[in-house]
Amino acid sequence: MDRIACSWCHYQNEVGATSCGTCGAPLNAADAVSESGWRAAPRLRDMAEFRVANITCQIAGQVVPVAEFTLTEGEVIFFEQHALLWKERTVCLTGKNLRGAGQRKIAGMPHAVIEARGPGRLAVSRDASGEVVVLPLHPEVETDVRGHAFLAASQNVGYDFVKIDKLASMLHGGPGMYLDRFVAGQTQGLLLLHGYGNVFQRRLGPGEKILIEPGGFLYKDSPVAINPVPVQKGAGFHHANWAELTGPGRVGIQSMYVHRHII
Amino acid sequence: MSEHTATGYVCPYCRLNSDQSSPACPNCGAPVDVREARDDEGWVEQPPIRDMARIQFGRSQCQIAGTYVPVAEMSLAPGEQVYFSHHVLLWTEPSTQLAARPMAKGWDRRYAGMPLIMMEASGPGRIGFSDNDAGEIIAVPLEAGRSIDVVEHHFLVATTAVTYDWFNPGIWWDLGTGSDREYFHPLGRYMDRFTAQQQRGLLLLHARGNTFIRDLRQDEPIYVVPRALVYKDLSVHMNIHMERPASPRAHWKLVPMVKLTGPGRVAIQSQYGFDEESHYGWTQVGPNGTWRNWNPDPSRWRPKVNEREPLYP
Repeated sequence: MDRIACSWCHYQNEVGATSCGTCGAPLNAADAVSESGWRAAPRLRDMAEFRVANITCQIAGQVVPVAEFTLTEGEVIFFEQHALLWKERTVCLTGKNLRGAGQRKIAGMPHAVIEARGPGRLAVSRDASGEVVVLPLHPEVETDVRGHAFLAASQNVGYDFVKIDKLASMLHGGPGMYLDRFVAGQTQGLLLLHGYGNVFQRRLGPGEKILIEPGGFLYKDSPVAINPVPVQKGAGFHHANWAELTGPGRVGIQSMYVHRHII
Repeated sequence: MSEHTATGYVCPYCRLNSDQSSPACPNCGAPVDVREARDDEGWVEQPPIRDMARIQFGRSQCQIAGTYVPVAEMSLAPGEQVYFSHHVLLWTEPSTQLAARPMAKGWDRRYAGMPLIMMEASGPGRIGFSDNDAGEIIAVPLEAGRSIDVVEHHFLVATTAVTYDWFNPGIWWDLGTGSDREYFHPLGRYMDRFTAQQQRGLLLLHARGNTFIRDLRQDEPIYVVPRALVYKDLSVHMNIHMERPASPRAHWKLVPMVKLTGPGRVAIQSQYGFDEESHYGWTQVGPNGTWRNWNPDPSRWRPKVNEREPLYP
């Protein structure tokens, strides 16, 4: 039987589907890829709906999109506390402390998340105009995300953090001391990020490098190395650093980024 | 608003000869196949540059990607250069050469909160720029000898054929006397002036929210909130204007505005912050400043301490 492959998450959809069943990406819209190779994250149509396991998610709104979840009995998603927008009475909320709470506190990252257990509906959103990026995680795939970009994930997604190597990388690499690391277990997991402004993705070949303004970095596959590189020495720019990303793997950037003074 | 000349189609947004058969103006990226959106007051909505639209400049090309906070991706030909403020740089390929571009009058720029040094990128290579607010990128191709005045913090990137200077727009008022004297600059201490000297150049601006343009006739005035102004033609005269709203009970603060008088084009943005630098009176205003009090009985309002009530027309 013929199938339509989603070019974003590669899920095989049934013929006639207009949006991907696992990530919501429009199937009948042309891919937006710039000549530089940056591929725009799929612009999810208002009210686009998709499903992973027993979780149904619907993206509502365009400027500051909201992710609404419908959870069946016992199904769990987790998110940072301040991302919660509304919930139904039947949804049970539980606080969950994360490993290394002290380190996360020092790094300015949340040291606990909230788990929401179905049945019922709830919604999450961040407080800035941008895009919801749906990253269905295939088993054993690790994805590193900058802090404060995580929106929500399904329970089977492992949430940890990795310390960025080298002091120079921590101070000048852009994302700070730690990156959030998400990894799916034995089954496919659902990870939602919020990118500020527009989100673009590029796949780097082995050894291929790209220099990114550190505040524009959003996510990467774990094999992609991140290192600080000085922009230019002398002439007042000696404090400026790029985040140099070296393939292989995916790299995601956001166009409305956290600017850091470099002079 | 669109025109046809002997040479073909004139783009209503960049005012240059263009190609009506292409989906977007090759000079400014404005879509060609859309109807003009003009409100009853004469403001024309600048249509956003479509996602992935291309703009040609020299042997190089610019592509606009994204819709909320668009990115200007440039593919620079060998030897071609652009300059920009470092904080708009999003990404670059390693092959693109970056260098510092020192600016004259460093102390004035520092004093006004403007960047001291700009960066210059040279081809061959690709490079991406974006600002930090939801809005639109406005492409302004400048023919040789043409200039426009831009409010500070809207400049994104320009080709080196476009020179960059700045001037005091004279939009200010002050309060108090002697050592207590305090100046207010609702439009910023300086405005940027961009000029294409010997050849055509490309200037990219970023505006917050949506952008609207209006072509003022000779001596036609329009009053604009200072922070909403994005750019104007050199031929448009401007001066500060103060409004005091009528109020039966409360003592309203003044509303500072910029009075723009044609002929020429002005552009405004729909998202702008609230200007808190407002008071109940002033001591002096900038050159040719005007004011209007809408209260039927101006004598009912007493000035605050150290503030002098303005003269009434």
